[in-house]
Amino acid sequence: MKSTIFAAMLGLTLKDKITLFYSLIFPLALLIGLGMYFDTPEYQEKLIAGVTALGALFWGVQGIAFQVYQQRSRGVYKLLMMTPFSILSFILTVTLARTVVGLAINGIILATGLLLFGLTYSIVNLLLFTGLLLLGTLCFTALGFVIANLASNEGQINSLSNLLQIPMIFGSSAFYSLEQAPAWIKLTGEFFPFAHMINGQTAALTGQLTEVLVPMSLLFLFTVLFVVLAAVTFRWDSRTSFLAIRRQY
Amino acid sequence: MIKSLVQAKGLVKHYGERKVVDGVSIQAAEGEIIAIIGPNGAGKSTSMDMMLGLRKADAGTVTYWEENYRSQVGVQLQDTPFFPGMTVMQNLRMFAAFYGQKLSRQRSIELLAISGLQGMEKLEASRLSGGQQKRLAIALTLAHSPKLLFLDEPTAALDPRARRDIHELIRELSAKGTAIIFTSHDMEEVGKLADRILLIDKGKVAAEGTAGELLMQHQSETLEELYLNKTMGAVI
Repeated sequence: MKSTIFAAMLGLTLKDKITLFYSLIFPLALLIGLGMYFDTPEYQEKLIAGVTALGALFWGVQGIAFQVYQQRSRGVYKLLMMTPFSILSFILTVTLARTVVGLAINGIILATGLLLFGLTYSIVNLLLFTGLLLLGTLCFTALGFVIANLASNEGQINSLSNLLQIPMIFGSSAFYSLEQAPAWIKLTGEFFPFAHMINGQTAALTGQLTEVLVPMSLLFLFTVLFVVLAAVTFRWDSRTSFLAIRRQY
Repeated sequence: MIKSLVQAKGLVKHYGERKVVDGVSIQAAEGEIIAIIGPNGAGKSTSMDMMLGLRKADAGTVTYWEENYRSQVGVQLQDTPFFPGMTVMQNLRMFAAFYGQKLSRQRSIELLAISGLQGMEKLEASRLSGGQQKRLAIALTLAHSPKLLFLDEPTAALDPRARRDIHELIRELSAKGTAIIFTSHDMEEVGKLADRILLIDKGKVAAEGTAGELLMQHQSETLEELYLNKTMGAVI
């Protein structure tokens, strides 16, 4: 039965054309614009890592948050709560469906970057890079679920998303080096998964494979944390506080 | 022997200082049709929510005929919840899957016929008219062939023909042994369908019995008269 729900959620995700466009076109434009201007292989490598991570972030956080909010407002989750299907299974199914599409989007961005800049990597490098993309997309999608659970209206989704996304992006070395940045900026980045994703992806592409392990582990821990938070804060009713007592799974 | 499917005893619920449900007891056996009536805000929906486990009762108990009852209970809510962006058929399949069932083509056709939505399976559910959405909401509750149905104002906003179809459907399901608990503001409908009626007012059961018993006990000519007498002063 989970396959039916997964397929339906996948179909629904593909109908989210605005987020699809935003998550694909914006990173592609960045990749082409910056990559052609700063045409050193080192920068282009960092750019591919930064742009794919950015795609995963946008796709994961905002896309799912609005989808969940819309479904909750329609009362779908109230009905769901009365079925034997567990909330955790639902969250995982939706998250996985969006992750599959998110990975496909990033596959296009990655392939465009490699072809455009003429970069080549070993299978191991690319597998590690893809593994980090998978974890990152899962992580940000679960975070989007948490945001949808905390927000009471669409405006709050935007505010909460920006509140988390902006420090994540500026606290990472996605588009510039943090070597000269104040310590507090670097420290801020450490508290969010985005910087670790960038560090891991950059290490995967530059061949420093031993340096992938720590960021990958941290990204995994953030993913587990956000999935648990998504399940704990899940609420079926758009009018009740997320702290309201609910059935626990 | 007729089996009791659900038994709620002495349900109490407070919202802040206000007691919205005060000692309500409801039970339904196989094939029984129970109508819950009462003014808006009387505590009908909160009582149903507590029976369904959506709200925690401050006191009282709810007992179902078996532990794994969720897979055999169908619920139609007042609003019409569908997955936005999904078609009628996708919503039917989705909800059947939530109940662990794969919807066969034959069953899909049956459900579309029951709900009068033949030929609309590929339409986006949110584009259906209000009445059609109501029909779909009822079809969703039947996708897994439940033993116990909760219907919250199932015929509100329906035209007379659709209303008659739903009445027939409720009778058919009851004849097959499905217990049905429904709320309604239509006293004629309640009189036609219900085996037992519960009138809830200000959170308490103000009257309970068959239509005949209630009319005799309260010396009323019609259910509407009884309703108006028993809920005097309530905001309707």
